[in-house]
Amino acid sequence: MSRQSRARRLGVGLLFLLPNILGFLAFILVPLVMSFGMAFTDWDFLRHNLFRHEPLHFIGVGNFARLFTHPLFWQYLGNTFFLMLGLPFAIAGSLGAALLLTRAGRARHRIKAALVLAMVILAGSGLMLLRGGMAESGVWLFFGLLTAATLIAGVLTGGMLYRTLFYLPNFTAGVATFVLWKKLYNPDTGPINQALAPLLDQFSAWVRSMPNAFTFGLPLVSAGLATVIAGWQARRLRRQWDQSEAGVAAVIAGTVALGVPLALLLGWWGVSAALAGAMSLIVGAVFAGLTFRRSRVWGRTKAVDKGLGTEVALAMVLIPLLLLLAAGIVIGPSLPAAAAAGIEPPNWLGDYYWAKPAFIMMMLWAAIGSNNMILYLAGLSSIPPELYEAADMDGATAAQRFWHITWPQLAPVTFFISIMSVIYGLQGGFEMARAMTLGGPAGSTTTLSYFIFNEGFETGRIGYASAVAWVLFALVFGLSLCNFRYGSRHVDD
Amino acid sequence: MKRLLFISFAVLTLASAALYWTRSERQITVPVLYWITQVDPLKEETIALFKSWLHDRGLPPVEVRIDNANQDPTKKLAQGLAGVGADLFDIYIFETELFSQSGMLMDVTEQAQAAGFGPEATYPALYGDIVVNGRQFGFPRNAGGNMCWINQDTFARYGVPEPGEHWTWDEFEQLGRKLVTAANPPGTRQRVYFIQGFQNVSPMLLRRGLGLDIFNETMTRCTLDDPRNTEVMRRQYRWVAELHLIPTLAEQMTMAADAGRKGDEWFYLYAKGRYAMLLVDRWALIRLRDLGPLRSRVVEPCNSGFRNMEIGCGLLAAYAGTKHPREAAQFLQFLTSEPFNLLIARSGDSLPPVPKYAKTEAFLRPPDHPEEWAMEKMFAATAPEIGIAYARSPFVQSGTLYRPVTGIDQQVYDAVVAGRLAPEDAGRVEAARIDAEIALNVRADPKLRRQYDELVKVQQKIDALRAQGRPVPVAWITNPFHRAYYKAKGWLQEEPKL
Repeated sequence: MSRQSRARRLGVGLLFLLPNILGFLAFILVPLVMSFGMAFTDWDFLRHNLFRHEPLHFIGVGNFARLFTHPLFWQYLGNTFFLMLGLPFAIAGSLGAALLLTRAGRARHRIKAALVLAMVILAGSGLMLLRGGMAESGVWLFFGLLTAATLIAGVLTGGMLYRTLFYLPNFTAGVATFVLWKKLYNPDTGPINQALAPLLDQFSAWVRSMPNAFTFGLPLVSAGLATVIAGWQARRLRRQWDQSEAGVAAVIAGTVALGVPLALLLGWWGVSAALAGAMSLIVGAVFAGLTFRRSRVWGRTKAVDKGLGTEVALAMVLIPLLLLLAAGIVIGPSLPAAAAAGIEPPNWLGDYYWAKPAFIMMMLWAAIGSNNMILYLAGLSSIPPELYEAADMDGATAAQRFWHITWPQLAPVTFFISIMSVIYGLQGGFEMARAMTLGGPAGSTTTLSYFIFNEGFETGRIGYASAVAWVLFALVFGLSLCNFRYGSRHVDD
Repeated sequence: MKRLLFISFAVLTLASAALYWTRSERQITVPVLYWITQVDPLKEETIALFKSWLHDRGLPPVEVRIDNANQDPTKKLAQGLAGVGADLFDIYIFETELFSQSGMLMDVTEQAQAAGFGPEATYPALYGDIVVNGRQFGFPRNAGGNMCWINQDTFARYGVPEPGEHWTWDEFEQLGRKLVTAANPPGTRQRVYFIQGFQNVSPMLLRRGLGLDIFNETMTRCTLDDPRNTEVMRRQYRWVAELHLIPTLAEQMTMAADAGRKGDEWFYLYAKGRYAMLLVDRWALIRLRDLGPLRSRVVEPCNSGFRNMEIGCGLLAAYAGTKHPREAAQFLQFLTSEPFNLLIARSGDSLPPVPKYAKTEAFLRPPDHPEEWAMEKMFAATAPEIGIAYARSPFVQSGTLYRPVTGIDQQVYDAVVAGRLAPEDAGRVEAARIDAEIALNVRADPKLRRQYDELVKVQQKIDALRAQGRPVPVAWITNPFHRAYYKAKGWLQEEPKL
């Protein structure tokens, strides 16, 4: 190829690339660099704009210092992390959905079983109708019929319908789904509460008929379960330490998974935040200290972060689980009194304490059938069938097949999904808050991204908003780095 | 592929050029003013009247077009500061300082003086709404304050006596309890409330009744860390969370969903008897007239101690970057004209911006609505008598304080209702947050700092005089509430001159 021809080809290539390069420069790189610069200035829309040309001042790390002393920043950061508590469940849900869809595709011959299941659901709906009357049970009947119809149609279409339905939230416009959920969550007229109301009435009657079971039973059972789980985690941590499978950082992370629910439980009991934090810190420190004093079978490992990835992943499951049990401990004694007046369905978006869980449920709905499910479907299809055949020959159970073949083979996919989920989780919450709650009530659904919008576009402090954005970036970057550092080991294994 | 690319590029370029050359603005030879406002018959009629007003005065014609897609304050701000703002825009109560401080509002002080649409052409109480730091930035489209609308049928249905024209907080609570108890049988979900949620407005009304405002006399400090504010918060908590006389924000949203409407649900629910009362301005007539004949009365908001109600205006301002400043100023001047003011009077909107038109027969006795005459009289008399404008501190934006949901006042209120903040602590927390905002703004802006320092000295002098029980010169007080309160208490050295 002549030089002229090569230059021509290069020119044409660049021409094709130019729109993208220009777009990248204009809308990503330049704003990125500018926002970094702005984070160190006092840039305020109201004073530095087309009409007011006051000098811009470099204020060093002033915006960052102000941010970390802003009392609401910590609340909004907490909100952001709280909403991320749903991530492990979303990932597990995506995997579950992918597994079901894979099986549904193979289960065309099980149409009889599907029909039986559909009939059971329909019969259940009919019973609800007889029990509660059309007004209260209409929603249940509707859901029952819909589920049965979907089930049957899904089996008949070999899973294609399921795939489409599961993926539906991903190609539906975000704001439209938020408006839909807002209607679903309506405390009076929303179908969720309409479906919950007869159940809660029944539950109230049940609680009234045996108050002691809830005053004492529920807290005791919850406390018992929580103790068992906490004990299991403590024993496991010690064993990991003894066998040099966990370094110092891993033990600390594992202890934090126990300390956070303890602190929150104490807070719910009315202990001040500082005291609750201090008490759980002391308990955690004592446990960790005693663990570190134990001698190790294989000698002291130099890798302080050994096993950290596992502990962080486990913490993401343990913390929500222990929090649920802690809620059982706290709510139990007050249930009979609440039941006497009739337990009302929650005011999902209007109640300070329910607004975030309502967001999490909605996110789960969207996340289970999202791109994650598609990635898992792709991952499942790439697992060599010989592995399953070999396992079958060895007499492995379904659970063993999953834990020893499917799960390890899907590790790279899970790793990628968890990284992307953490990134989206930290950046998320803006659209939901803007469309559904405006960040309220009392800031309970304001996440960092919504805080950035408020400061930047409603108050005009662009410099400060940029600083918050860069702190958010640092968080995303730091957590992704940890994910790469500690998560990739499992992938390599 | 290359050919396809170039052909696509050429077609798109030609299409863009064709679109540009054939756009409707190019067909019009007269100046076009874009006005960000709601689309409604009143606005259409306003534009028609403006055109005939221009014609009658022999002025060149102007085209006015409504842009109702960009009413969000964030959009107005972003477009304005980017240099592509609309020529005219409505400014609502929490936006004035935001826009005026940014410099995107056209300063019309000189034109207003020359053409007779200065602040003296409207209600004295609105001075702070249209003039910032001595400069005028618009003119009111209407004016008014929220009064209590009583659905007489709802009161009669539940056998509850109607309140008098002047009533107290205790009477509000007593009547409210009776009505809510009678209207919502035990064991059923509450469907009827005494009044719609007014948490954005009510704290100010109640605080002012006790002689307390959000700011001190010079608006350099928040004064809510005061036992009187605790009393207000306690009472609000009781009304909302304990007695359920007033719905929470979420309950309001539920009621709106029940009504199947958005925007005008209050009126629909009021007409249906689910809100026994509304706290809203005269413009409610526009909506209520459409809902059929209703037996309504209007009384002043319940007051204990110092009688007051908020007064404000719907401000119309021009964009500093407009290509048609002369025509934009003409539109503002038109707002003082008789045809426009009579249009406001007969349409059922708030008070006409020029006070004398609220005393005309057209306003007081609209021939088609004799059932409204008593209400018109109340509006015309009460708002100018006890109406006090919002306190607008130059050191903190009103939006930061009063913006729905994210405003500090609302957040603290929500935290109290959610039981996350004790009423005793609410004032301290709110004052600390507002004072921190003031400190931040003052630190960032040297001009503001100078103004602040001067006013702090004035405040010290006021405090010293008050400590000695001596009257204070009116010119020292910039907070409209304190001016009115000091005047009522006889603590002023002279009458305010506006």
